Amino acid sequence: MRRGIALRLSALVLSSTGLVLVAVVAVSYILAREALLQSAEVNARNLSQSLVNRIEAVLTPIPPVVRGTVYALEDGGLTDEGIIRRQRRMLTDNDAVFGTSVSFEPFAHKPGERYFASYMFRTPLGFKTTHLGSDSYRYHYMDWYQLPRELDRLVWSEPYYDRGGGNVLMTTCAMPFHRMENGRPVVAGVVTSDVALEWLTRLVAGVSVLDTGYAYLISQSGAYITHPEPGVAFNETIFSRAEEFHDQQLRLLGQDMIRGGSRFVQMKSLHAGKEGFLMYAPLPSTGWSLAVFFPRDEMLARVHRQAMISAGLGGGGFLILALIVALIARGITRPLRRLTAAASEVAGGNLKAELPTISAHDEVGELAESFANMQTSLRRHIRDLTEATASRERMASELRIAHDIQMGILPKLFPPFPDRPEIDLFAELTPAREVGGDFYDFFPCGPDQFCFLVGDVSGKGVPAAFYMAVAKTLIKAVAESAADGGRRDTAGVPDPGSILARASDDLAQDNESCMFVTIFCAMLDMRTGRVRVASAGHNPPVLLRAAAGTAEYLPTHGDPVAGALPGVVYSTDELTLAPGDAILLYTDGVTEAMNPAQELFGEERLLVRARGLAGQPAQRVCEDVRAEVTSYAAGAEQSDDITLLTLRYLGAGANAGSTPPGETNGISKS
Amino acid sequence: MEFQKAKEGAALVLAVTGRLDTLTAPQFEAECAACADAGDTRIVVDLSGLEYISSAGLRSILGAAKKLKSLGGGISFCGLSGIVAEVFTVSGFVKLLPVFPTRQEALAKA
Repeated sequence: MRRGIALRLSALVLSSTGLVLVAVVAVSYILAREALLQSAEVNARNLSQSLVNRIEAVLTPIPPVVRGTVYALEDGGLTDEGIIRRQRRMLTDNDAVFGTSVSFEPFAHKPGERYFASYMFRTPLGFKTTHLGSDSYRYHYMDWYQLPRELDRLVWSEPYYDRGGGNVLMTTCAMPFHRMENGRPVVAGVVTSDVALEWLTRLVAGVSVLDTGYAYLISQSGAYITHPEPGVAFNETIFSRAEEFHDQQLRLLGQDMIRGGSRFVQMKSLHAGKEGFLMYAPLPSTGWSLAVFFPRDEMLARVHRQAMISAGLGGGGFLILALIVALIARGITRPLRRLTAAASEVAGGNLKAELPTISAHDEVGELAESFANMQTSLRRHIRDLTEATASRERMASELRIAHDIQMGILPKLFPPFPDRPEIDLFAELTPAREVGGDFYDFFPCGPDQFCFLVGDVSGKGVPAAFYMAVAKTLIKAVAESAADGGRRDTAGVPDPGSILARASDDLAQDNESCMFVTIFCAMLDMRTGRVRVASAGHNPPVLLRAAAGTAEYLPTHGDPVAGALPGVVYSTDELTLAPGDAILLYTDGVTEAMNPAQELFGEERLLVRARGLAGQPAQRVCEDVRAEVTSYAAGAEQSDDITLLTLRYLGAGANAGSTPPGETNGISKS
Repeated sequence: MEFQKAKEGAALVLAVTGRLDTLTAPQFEAECAACADAGDTRIVVDLSGLEYISSAGLRSILGAAKKLKSLGGGISFCGLSGIVAEVFTVSGFVKLLPVFPTRQEALAKA
């Protein structure tokens, strides 16, 4: 798949959705964890309190029983049988009591009896009574007797394994009893009640906290009563263990525990080897302390599992969303892709390529519609363009033909009259466009007369070309009719001034477009070199004198252009050419040729160039002046037609024959 | 090219500045036609502000002259100088149309 809109859309939507999803899962995980940790303390307190309550339920009834026996002994004194009865009742009434003893101070029970300690305990066969004291078991020095006697109060002993009695783990609740001696109470003995602790260790060890959590008991001195780790109970105290593992926190906790404190603290368990929380609470009756450890990771396991489930559900949902988004995105962009394919085909040149029909009224639909419109306009435009091009080509072709025709009506064969060696003539015309308004002409006109002329029609292009054709034909017709009308053997009949006047009158008739033409017309008598000239508003020609090597402008009378208004009179001048002299006729395309800086070629420049060409052949004169103009223009666009005509008179002596030139003229008509 | 019109007695003086060539010739002819349509058929064209005139410009002058003449009026020129005077001289327009050195002389004959 390309990196198209569908892909980018999908990527954008999915990445934002994914981020949101991850954020939601993360935040809900954190919130759930906080909530769980907050409730954990409450749960821990409840759990430990319920344990404490269960233990206390067993231990709390013991002291009153002991106290009752003490009071009985102090109040009335009991006989041996009474003591036995009392003991039996204690065992019968309290299942938790494993055994009970009534032990007297030496000689306090009966003079002469150092030891009197009646001990009744449970056996599988029933209650059994024994006497503890002997020289091998001097109970007066045992802790269970000494401590309550010296402290003179009820004492719970540290737990111990009793080897003298039931040989089971037990603790003893002991209380001294007194007798009055000299008005003062003195200790007469100690009543004990042994409580087997197997149930307690089972109870505490059986507390299951999560997977690796556990509970333990320590005595009021910090000794472990139960501990899940083998060999710790009864062998170590919480302080020795703290010392062993250099655990300062454990020592502080232990101190607080034996002081009867109750807290929920964060700590690292030495046994489980992991972080967690410890909840401890005292057992009020014995001064012991119960501790329960909750491993943090297992507490959070449920939260973790929930987070995993959320993440899993989120991930699955995300995949489904991805699929849906991809499908939607592809669905949205499918028309675009089809349109793109069609556009490529159109761009490739197939304007008739079929566009996909898109019914959706959305942006894509609008695009398709615009595209269809564009295709239609493009097709129409191409068709118009093709037609316009064809039309323009047709016009260009017609203009080319017009150019050929126009050039065709100009005489172009040089030398024009090989049988008349008196004249050396050359002419050239360069139109600025395909067709132009300049023209030149030359033709024999009566006996030994030779007419030559240059004209320039106002304006350019096709209208000027038409006018030029008319003007040229008209002048020749006028000149020749004048010659024909006159006597062929007499000189002077065709007068340039009258030729121009007649031509101008003819042109001025019905000249709605107000076009006009400037003409310089000359008539050479080939025998004598006499030249009659007339100008209809034309640029003054250049006269090149071969002998003197000079060039000068012929003065004109400023007669008006031809064809402008009827009734104009033109004056005729005369001059004589010596052999080698030449006349250079030109149009303003020469003097008004511009260089790239828009500066005119000028008449002075023409005169200077022409001076160096005096006496040169006609073709050389034309070509050199033309070359000068071209180099002056230096590539600037030619704005007007450029026409040059040079006639050099070679003299009557050069005359090779007497054949009239009119009958053998070599003017090309092609 | 720009035009400035001023009524002087019976005649209208049309001062022309700029270039009168293929591009601007139709403007000149249209301006003269507008004057003629407004009743001003006697026009003195002051060319002292004209920088250049081409053959197309001459043609438009000729057209204007013919039109005004056909309406019974006339056109004359004054203030020619430089290349404009030269073109008028060479083309013989000074012989075809009334041309005066100054505006006063032109108005006197208009």
